[in-house]
Amino acid sequence: MSKAVVIGSGAGGSVAAMELANAGWEVVVFEKGPNRFSNIDGEGPIGTTFSNDDLKMGERYFAGPDPEVFPRTWRPTATAPVQYTGSVNDLPQLVGGGTMHWDAKVPRFWDIDFQQLSALGPVPDADMADWPFEYSDIAPYYDEVEELIGVQGDLGAVPDIVLRHAPRGRQFPMPPGPQQRASVAVAAGATAIGMHPYPFPMAINSRAYNGQAACNDCGFCSGYGCPVVARPSALIPLRLALRTGRVTLVPETMVARVRLTGSGAAARATGVSWVRMTSRGPVTGAEDADLVVLAASGIETVRLALLSSFPDASGKLGRRLMMHAFVDGTAVFTDERMHAYRGRSTTQCAEDAADPDFPGARAYAKANGLPYIRGGIMELGGSQSVISEAQAYQTLLGFTRSAKPFGTDFKQLMRSSILRDRLAGCSLVGEDLPYLDHTVTLDPTVKDVFGVPVARITWSYGKYEQTAQQFWIPHLKTMMKRAGAAVAFAVPDTINSGGLPTGSHIMGGMMMGADPATSVTDGYGRVHGLDNVWVADGSVFVTSGAHNPTNTIMAVALRNTRHLAGG
Amino acid sequence: MPSGGSAAAAGSQPGSLRRRTVITAIPTAAILGASGCTASAPSPAPRPAPPQTVYRFFTSHQAAVVEDATARIAPGPADDPAEAGHPGAREAGVTGYIDTMLAALDGLTGPAPKIFAGGPWSNRHASGPDLMARFIALDAVTIIAWRKRLQGWQRQYKNGIATLDRLAGGDFTTAAPDDQDKILVRQEASAFTSLLFEHTVEGLYANPEYGGNRGLVGWTDIGFPGDIQPQGYTQSEVERSGGPDPVADTGIVADVLKFLGAL
Repeated sequence: MSKAVVIGSGAGGSVAAMELANAGWEVVVFEKGPNRFSNIDGEGPIGTTFSNDDLKMGERYFAGPDPEVFPRTWRPTATAPVQYTGSVNDLPQLVGGGTMHWDAKVPRFWDIDFQQLSALGPVPDADMADWPFEYSDIAPYYDEVEELIGVQGDLGAVPDIVLRHAPRGRQFPMPPGPQQRASVAVAAGATAIGMHPYPFPMAINSRAYNGQAACNDCGFCSGYGCPVVARPSALIPLRLALRTGRVTLVPETMVARVRLTGSGAAARATGVSWVRMTSRGPVTGAEDADLVVLAASGIETVRLALLSSFPDASGKLGRRLMMHAFVDGTAVFTDERMHAYRGRSTTQCAEDAADPDFPGARAYAKANGLPYIRGGIMELGGSQSVISEAQAYQTLLGFTRSAKPFGTDFKQLMRSSILRDRLAGCSLVGEDLPYLDHTVTLDPTVKDVFGVPVARITWSYGKYEQTAQQFWIPHLKTMMKRAGAAVAFAVPDTINSGGLPTGSHIMGGMMMGADPATSVTDGYGRVHGLDNVWVADGSVFVTSGAHNPTNTIMAVALRNTRHLAGG
Repeated sequence: MPSGGSAAAAGSQPGSLRRRTVITAIPTAAILGASGCTASAPSPAPRPAPPQTVYRFFTSHQAAVVEDATARIAPGPADDPAEAGHPGAREAGVTGYIDTMLAALDGLTGPAPKIFAGGPWSNRHASGPDLMARFIALDAVTIIAWRKRLQGWQRQYKNGIATLDRLAGGDFTTAAPDDQDKILVRQEASAFTSLLFEHTVEGLYANPEYGGNRGLVGWTDIGFPGDIQPQGYTQSEVERSGGPDPVADTGIVADVLKFLGAL
């Protein structure tokens, strides 16, 4: 029996492990983080120690990675010094990966996302390209992923613009659950400005599914692990993989290098070297393998490829990092409490802003010297936790009460709850174009707890992203006002973060393509020049799309690993 | 534009894990344009008896300083007449919360220090055992991370408390409340005051298993039910309006709304 090592147990790694096991491979899955679940490989419900706990998840890195031991660094451009060391748009680090903290939004990419260069033309400074396949090629894999992990939605409510760009024949596996008061209110505002909101497709059980409970709308959703595992996500393919009896899951173990042998056409992987912390210090080891699959998420997969000195004939390894150009909108309702702390966060969305032909968008682009601009999907009606609300007031009191930025004023703000119970958040998930100078490289000085160089992120918005954000900000404000908000404001996410990327959508760095001269991996995610090394996460993306990426990460991983394992 | 200062602020919390929950953004231009307003000073409050708890990290004097300082940040009925009927940091046990956190790994004998409360629920709104009270064992990497973090905070508390005492002429706890407020905003104390504010917030509003939010007074004062599993909310509770509930937009609430509206 041939043996494969899969690095990472999240959206892509879980699917790769399942496909390889189904094809008869013996598989070892290495996961850097801990396992917060029980009975993943059993028959009954999966158990967990996740809970409705703002401190554990929001402040103490229960889903990791803790930047004290696993930092990254960030600089806005390649000529600027590193400006920040710590958490840089980290994804969770635990069994299940990024699908354990998410609120499981699973829209599909559009047809023009896969053929963006052909369909929309080049953009100055960007490395635009088509994917090696079209929407119609990936659509069956979307269907299969949605059936596999369990997605709620309503085909009858999906607007024409979405069905035109992302056609689907099948009804969703489950109907939508209860619609949040705040989301419905903002959706009415979206309709008023000519958009077409509908129940957000999400991989959350609205009834028992996969042997897991239905969501009971506890409200501790986005950013929290689910206490009732009603969005098991990657745990489902992982469970199916483990149940074959051919898969071993190894948590708390970091693969530090893919071991290579030979050179040129004879280059191949022979296995991996790993490191694990114990109470007596680090322990290292090796695992031989006939096949290595990298699925550690965009940034960490690139870091590992660089640490392993992968061949890079195209010069694009680690380039074209994409993270979505978010606009964070906030609606404050002074006449009513919106109680957005109840329910699956953000139950409505609108995709109209992903359309380059939305009224006014072409003209605005042209006036700014661009051929077109796109925003992206809008998430309508998010909430804010009590602790982050209090932190927001701490900041605001510094500006409005500099002589005494605390005291009864702070507590009065908490009781008014203008930034929690009276709030509805509206995010624009804007497209982030691929640029060759947006990169992941190894930091020359900063190392992790094992002494391994960390990822250094070089990234900031280009003209395209900033122009699109400026076009859409007034639309967001008008939408929130039309929804009845007394106060509505919207700003690019980087204003709040000091330039750092936010949003936990990580794509690019190991771009797919048919030509080894212009891409890092082939049309199925196999590394050019390393036939027995595959990549099965968001790093293979060619463009970032204008939608939450995880459905596409899983569908592409399914398409690619099924083809390669079968071939 | 990016600036080192705001980047550091963003990095003080794992913001990337909670994009949809951190949505209050403050453009730099608006900050520069904002003018400070002066709050009216509260009248001095009767000083409650010093805390009697046995502390693991703080000396009794250090605990008394933290008790007073956090009560200025989040006052209760004994600290500010405007807070009559509204428990604050003292009543929530914030000092005990901070002491428990700072000492979590000192003399660690068992595998489960009070860093990660258990799950999946407390049964606070149902019947059954409080599973959050069973803290979760830390893996070896996480212990290293928290040793680093807590050593840094322990140093900041020792130095910060000494600074507050020095600025008060020897003993912060003997200063009048108005003077304590003025000390807390002094430039030499501002970094420590900021850390105290963050930990006061946690001690007031985190799940009570961590040692603060005693008797759920933090959540009760803001009308928040807290952790709600395993029952969750009904369809009606999710979907229906609670009816008209206009905010009292005077004082600080009006000023913050005005500030936000100008963004």
